[in-house]
Amino acid sequence: MTSLITNFFIALMCLLHTPLDFDVSKLVQKRMQKEITKVFLCKDFDLEEVTGTPGFQFQNSTYLTDHQIYKINRSGELLGYAFLGSAPSKTDTFEYLILFDQNFIQKKAKIMVYREDYGGEISSNRWLSQFKDTTLGEKFVYGDNISAISGATISVKSMTHSINYVYSQLQRQLAVASR
Amino acid sequence: MNFRIFNILTAILLSMSAFSQKASDSLSTYQGQNLLQINGYQRILQNLEAVPNGMTFGGYAEVLYNQPESANGEIDVQRLILLFGYKFDDRTQFVTEVEFEHVKEVYIEQAFVNYALSNSLNVRAGLMLVPMGIINEYHEPTTFNGVERPSMDNKLVPTTWREIGMGLSGRSDALSLRYQAYIFNGFLSHNGSGGLIKGSNGFRSGRQKGAESVFRTPNLSMKLDFYGVNGLRLGLSGYFGKTQAANEVFDTSGSTVGMSMLGLDARYSYRRFTARGQYITSSIKDAFQYNQLTSKDLASSMAGYYIESAYNLLPITNRQRLFAFVRYENFDTHKSVPSNVVQNPSFHRKEITTGLSYHLAPGAVFKIDYQNKSTAIVDSNKGQINMGVGVWF
Repeated sequence: MTSLITNFFIALMCLLHTPLDFDVSKLVQKRMQKEITKVFLCKDFDLEEVTGTPGFQFQNSTYLTDHQIYKINRSGELLGYAFLGSAPSKTDTFEYLILFDQNFIQKKAKIMVYREDYGGEISSNRWLSQFKDTTLGEKFVYGDNISAISGATISVKSMTHSINYVYSQLQRQLAVASR
Repeated sequence: MNFRIFNILTAILLSMSAFSQKASDSLSTYQGQNLLQINGYQRILQNLEAVPNGMTFGGYAEVLYNQPESANGEIDVQRLILLFGYKFDDRTQFVTEVEFEHVKEVYIEQAFVNYALSNSLNVRAGLMLVPMGIINEYHEPTTFNGVERPSMDNKLVPTTWREIGMGLSGRSDALSLRYQAYIFNGFLSHNGSGGLIKGSNGFRSGRQKGAESVFRTPNLSMKLDFYGVNGLRLGLSGYFGKTQAANEVFDTSGSTVGMSMLGLDARYSYRRFTARGQYITSSIKDAFQYNQLTSKDLASSMAGYYIESAYNLLPITNRQRLFAFVRYENFDTHKSVPSNVVQNPSFHRKEITTGLSYHLAPGAVFKIDYQNKSTAIVDSNKGQINMGVGVWF
């Protein structure tokens, strides 16, 4: 039994010594590049930050504590948009990514960083796929067109509110900008 | 002279109006902030901003009233739990919950360090909850129906079951799977002067709760949660090991028993309808020797289940929810017994609970229910009315 515990500790020490890059902003950027490659099936894109420019001037709120918006371009042609947002979990915040095509139809939602143990279930690809292929006019209602996850209610609601807020803001801002 | 008085008066009036202007400004700003404050977690976030060094505060509480038929009722602050968390950095967090039971008993319910190796893998060590069934992990009053926790989550799963240990937890986003695996300190079956575990409530009295715990044999605890079907969450828990005994009796035959516990649970939610169920089975090795040594009536196996369904009577878009629910429990802590114990029919319990949970706001609930409790003994029916308030923030 003592040897089992010793082995366990040795294994643990090895794990803890693995050098892991945990600079959150770098990590998020890396993951965002990866997701864009997967969704738009190309690697030779470039990102142009448009946060705060006409059409993308919106306030943070209780459901969106921070955000960044990028245009995804490929040799001068617009492929779509990437939206990075922060929203509250029970006692912390989490980072998420939404990818839109050039017509603002949602292609993918993904949790980039989830810090708390509680509510981490919202990172499930299956749950997030409920937002896929939606347009900015869509309204999400927890328990109605967005299903619940037992044991993750606070984060499920927070993510649902956050996406509703982002969609409505984008819709309004883009309408104003195109006028 | 008059002119000077006039000047002074003007100065005073000006300063007063300036003051009142400032006061009304700050008032309107305050009201503006107030409008933004909606939920508990948002308040916590604002608290976090005010305390930028990573502290988190929270807690939950239950104040309950139990009224059995033809007996005195009991009114009790059953538990008040204060949560403190500290985030050292994005990888390293400490979580602790200080519990006051019945106002005057103090316990530590959790106290562990969580270290994130990656986005989906954590190492944890300290005083932690044993993941078994639903309630032991999710026991905040706003997360379950009924004033009291299900009775099998008291007698069969000794909620709140926590011991000191270490292990791994994490999840797979692609598989919609959460996993936990820990090595824990086990129950104490013999404290040197007598046996602690028994037939009526199994291992409950053997919990060491992290207080000067006796440790010799590690126990293994695991849980898998699958939530890859919309609205459904399935859990599979396992706990395997051996109880501990005080030094002076450790080598005595029967002072410790081998045990295993398996749990299956399901939670489902579709629009205004929710349902949950749980099945737990536990087997005990060497119960014969244990009973011989201690003159206790420990079973060689225990098992039971409950099923519950609930319906939200309010529209789904309402912030408040009003659940009407019914739960049926059937469990036996004397499912099978060794030859030196007579099977006790009063340990085979059947309970029906029905009532309302009125969620005033996310995190605050009023509860009322009626319970009919019976055992395998004929005419053992007993009724009880319960009421309670619960909060979680």
